[in-house]
Amino acid sequence: MSEQEKIIDIGDGAAIPDPRDKGLFSAWRIALIGTISLLVILPLAKPDPYAKILRFVPDGIWVTFEVTIASISLALIIGLLTGLGRISKNRYINLAASLYVEVVRGIPLLVQLFYIYFALGRIVRVPDIVAAVIAMSFCYGAYMGEVFRAGIKSIDFGQTEASLSLGFNRRQTMAYVILPQAWRTILPPVGNEFIALLKDTSLVSILAVADILRRGREYASESFNYFETYTMIALIYLLITLVLSKLISNMEHRLSHYERR
Amino acid sequence: MLKKALLTLVALSTLCGSAWAETRIVFATDATWPPMEFVNGQKEIVGFAIDFLKAAGKEAGFTPVFKNTAWDGIFAGLAVGKYDAISSSVSITEERKKAMDFSEPYFTVHQALIVNKASTVKSLADLKGKKVGGQIGTTGYFAIKAADGLVPKSYDEIGLAMEDLNVGRIDAVVCDDPVAANYALDKYKEKLKIAAVLKTDKVESYGFAVKKGNKKILDLLNKGIEAVRAKGIDQELKKKWIGQ
Repeated sequence: MSEQEKIIDIGDGAAIPDPRDKGLFSAWRIALIGTISLLVILPLAKPDPYAKILRFVPDGIWVTFEVTIASISLALIIGLLTGLGRISKNRYINLAASLYVEVVRGIPLLVQLFYIYFALGRIVRVPDIVAAVIAMSFCYGAYMGEVFRAGIKSIDFGQTEASLSLGFNRRQTMAYVILPQAWRTILPPVGNEFIALLKDTSLVSILAVADILRRGREYASESFNYFETYTMIALIYLLITLVLSKLISNMEHRLSHYERR
Repeated sequence: MLKKALLTLVALSTLCGSAWAETRIVFATDATWPPMEFVNGQKEIVGFAIDFLKAAGKEAGFTPVFKNTAWDGIFAGLAVGKYDAISSSVSITEERKKAMDFSEPYFTVHQALIVNKASTVKSLADLKGKKVGGQIGTTGYFAIKAADGLVPKSYDEIGLAMEDLNVGRIDAVVCDDPVAANYALDKYKEKLKIAAVLKTDKVESYGFAVKKGNKKILDLLNKGIEAVRAKGIDQELKKKWIGQ
């Protein structure tokens, strides 16, 4: 392998590895240390307004997590059903699942949020957080569906043939042979969708759901400390996603030992 | 030939532009606050404050230009000089005075409490533990937060809060009385009503906000406001837009 063809490793660290670098200066580490130190130093150095902002937003963080976890759980269920529907041999189920994916992918999330929130409000009386969760999971369910479909498709057809020849029916093949293997391919993109969803929950602040961003905006609108508030809001989001992305990359690492064998 | 004519036109318009520039004042307005400032069916920004400023401009010699700007962040835009002034039903408060300068007051308001027609609520005290909405960063929302035992909910636009009240996600909305009247007596007159006007010891008035220290524009505005008052134009406009 010539020098030019050196494999560029995309991981936590610098994209181009260096033998002198022991992995201490990875992009992830620098970002994490920078974020944490800013989150500590700023409030200590200038308690007004930084410490005040930090005291103002915690219930927003809780709401953001609530919306994220509820939405991802629902989206996983919708996604699995959609993914199975998309590869279904039944013409009508397949059509319904494909139609759902087409429609959802064609409408911006912000528009969907507005639509579901206000349209739902006219039909049934649901609290704001529930409406936000329904809207988020409805949208992400379609993306998840594609992730599931790709994961299932990635399993060699020989597996299905072998399973059928052993006397499993189609449902058993899917449940005991295909899905357990597909899970490995599915999990990493699901992790990414999870982080993307967490960031996108900031959109629900327009529905007057009191998430991190809404709390920050409330603080800024009263104190006029726009710069300071949004600095802290950005840092809080960054800290959460950095920790989550590490967890997900660890999980991917653990799953990849099958491939190395 | 056509090219030449076009070029002359462009040259002329730029000349006019620079001649204008001296007396042009760009106002940011969150045109979601009927009847003070809102966008009508023809996509024009209209309302009491808009007519008021046009009249004031005629008297004091400036041309107001309106820039529709979201309320959340309207003050930040003023601070960084995206526009010269804010005309967006901004109540003059001590906190805001620290961040910007205000013209003379041009309108006096009270905070009104809006509830569903069927509700028996008579005051904020009846709403303990209930969700009450207001527009983010407005005096109405501050009143909700200051009251005991309410669950405050902030909205980007007052119209969204009214819709949530209409469908029953929240129990009441607090906002300035002309706006409350517009929604409760006009747009949602079948569903909503004004339960009360909140009593305070302080008079609340709208002023036009300018960047701190921008005396030139402040003087122009004050001159215009004074002239409009002296001629009684503001009373005519009140009749036209608010009907009293």
